[in-house]
Amino acid sequence: MNAPLVRPGLWERGRFGLARLFRIREVGLISIVVIVSIVAAISIPAFRNGVNLRELLNNAAVVAIVAIGESLVLLTRQIDLSVGAILGLSAFITGSLLGQLGGIGGILVALLLPIFIGIVLGSINGVLISFARMPAIIATLATLSIYSGLQVVVSGGSQVYAYQLPTWLSQLYTTSWLGVGSFVWIAVVWVVLFSFVMRILRWGRDLYAMGSNPEAARYMAIPTRRRTIQAFVVCGALAGFGGLLYIAQYGNVDATAGAGFELTVIAGAVVGGVSLFGGSGSPLGAALGAVLLLEIENVLALLKISIFAQQTLQGVAIISAVALYAVLMRRSQQPATRNRSQSDSDTSQIVKTEVQQ
Amino acid sequence: MSTVARRPPGTEPRRSSSRGDAANSWINVALHWITRWEVGLCLLIVIVIAGSSAASSNFLTPFNLETMALNATVLGFLALGVAPVIMTGDIDLSIASTLALCGVVMAVLWQHGMNIWVAAGLAIILGGILGLVNGLVVVMFELPSLAVTLGSMSTYTGIAFLILQGKAIINFPASLVQLGSGGLFGSDFPIASAILLICAAILAFVIHRTAFGKSVFAIGGNRQAARFSGVPVARTRILVFVIAGAFAALAAIFYLGNFDTAQANMAADQLLPAITAVILGGVSAYGGSGTIQGVVLALVLLQVLETGLGVAGLSGQEQTISVGILLIIAISGGAAIGAVRNRFRRREHRSSIALPATSETEEVSQTASINVEDHSTPEEGYKSVP
Repeated sequence: MNAPLVRPGLWERGRFGLARLFRIREVGLISIVVIVSIVAAISIPAFRNGVNLRELLNNAAVVAIVAIGESLVLLTRQIDLSVGAILGLSAFITGSLLGQLGGIGGILVALLLPIFIGIVLGSINGVLISFARMPAIIATLATLSIYSGLQVVVSGGSQVYAYQLPTWLSQLYTTSWLGVGSFVWIAVVWVVLFSFVMRILRWGRDLYAMGSNPEAARYMAIPTRRRTIQAFVVCGALAGFGGLLYIAQYGNVDATAGAGFELTVIAGAVVGGVSLFGGSGSPLGAALGAVLLLEIENVLALLKISIFAQQTLQGVAIISAVALYAVLMRRSQQPATRNRSQSDSDTSQIVKTEVQQ
Repeated sequence: MSTVARRPPGTEPRRSSSRGDAANSWINVALHWITRWEVGLCLLIVIVIAGSSAASSNFLTPFNLETMALNATVLGFLALGVAPVIMTGDIDLSIASTLALCGVVMAVLWQHGMNIWVAAGLAIILGGILGLVNGLVVVMFELPSLAVTLGSMSTYTGIAFLILQGKAIINFPASLVQLGSGGLFGSDFPIASAILLICAAILAFVIHRTAFGKSVFAIGGNRQAARFSGVPVARTRILVFVIAGAFAALAAIFYLGNFDTAQANMAADQLLPAITAVILGGVSAYGGSGTIQGVVLALVLLQVLETGLGVAGLSGQEQTISVGILLIIAISGGAAIGAVRNRFRRREHRSSIALPATSETEEVSQTASINVEDHSTPEEGYKSVP
């Protein structure tokens, strides 16, 4: 019975018809991103500017990395509202320690500490949700206020300044390889890694199964509690890692760093087609959604549209994206259940018959 | 979900005729009332007030009480409004933005020469319309309310910013300021709090004593079952969003009266506390259970706690942390109590029907434990093994 979960029909996907290609959400997203980029590059000279592009891509990379983590949690039908606070807390603690440490020790701390902080904070979320049985939105609402409060308490009103940080960190922001900034490469690595995990590994398929039908997932002997905690831990780890990039990007970190970040992240994931009902979406989609969201924001800013109108348009974009996906999904479900990958519909059918019995 | 944990009719354990039964039943009735969520909240309130007034003699002064009551008003209207939405199993993240937009529109109308009370009336209508938009989009397109109201949150705030262009409107008429911060009949008791209590009473009546309220809980408990039993699901779900919008507009009126300023980002920090108050008030985040009285008590608790922690010398952020921890303790504590009750009940269930309790039922019943509290009547729920 577990066979379809272990091998998600990877080879069945080899039948690439053009129609099939366009039914894949990510292809549509990429084409929208490309079209917007081309139109913007032609009509707005400032968009083509190297500095603007670097800023845009680096910003998008940070949001995308955190959005990947958030998408894992959303896929299991949970939500994590505390990612912004985790990012901020990790950024502040790492930043203030880096100011005192140099050399190899500093590099080790910079790489491990943010992820460690994220893992700890994420596992608190996970334990509250799967063992204390709190609804995710409430638990992470509570930890959002706790973590952001801790950030202020830890900082004690002080601030980390750019000159206190080691130079390699600020160079990371400007370094590029093959004409593409280091942040983008880092984000690409995470996307590839998690696309592999979510598509091929049993762990990832478990998360999809839990999101599609939690009860059925339990019947299939998926350790749902453990998987829930793990999803939150990974989400926290990625948010913590986002904190490191945040330091590298802005240099200055204060007590309010990361505030409100969670909404951008969730909006990005939702625009990228990750369903808030769970079970549908992908890390690549979430990352692309973040890129698209920030790109639109960037274009609006360049068009000198008031920042306030941008907020309105962002809200409208979220609602219309959700509505669009809902319509697409309903349409694709009508003839046959082929909206998700082959394996998902297979498992859900198996599950349905089992429940009926 | 709660239906799973509740015992289906006809499967109640047979009443035994042993002597211990009568004694057990009144203990169980007492136990039922003591473990009610509202009783716990009252206890916490008493403890916090006792501790705070021991720590500072200024805590129980009329001035301090008046300040606390005024501070809780805006939050109170927001929380009361969003409570029915959460009871139906939806969520409204746009309440604070609705407050801002209604407040800004009201202020601009007044600035352009409209009577402040007419403007206030229009603001309430606008609030209802904004809620209606949320509800229609959620119900008609069958979208998750979380995503929709996340979107409308930015949309409404953005529109408020567009109207004001970053400016602020101040110096409202004395009558509005009197409404927002004055005392009732010249006493220290704020008018705003009196109106809040009246609104809470009306809402409590509507939610707990009318057919509409029954449908709210039915939809929150099991939407599908509610639809099949003829509950007007779509209409009810839209209406609770309208209620949330109208209450947010009321909050806007009292915000303007209390703080005498209208900005586009006003009360943006009140969203999370409002939802916190609702959940702390015993409303299940999955929908289907909770009381308006509980929400009011939670508001009182949050306010005395905040002031008490301030008296104890904790900073604002440390207070935020404490509220977060309180929320976690309250919810998981409530779940633990529910789990103990369920175990208690299941044991007798098993002994009378000899049905093995599987791990699945255990998990389900634990999840539903908060929901169960308010549905079970003492006659049904508490019969111990003789």
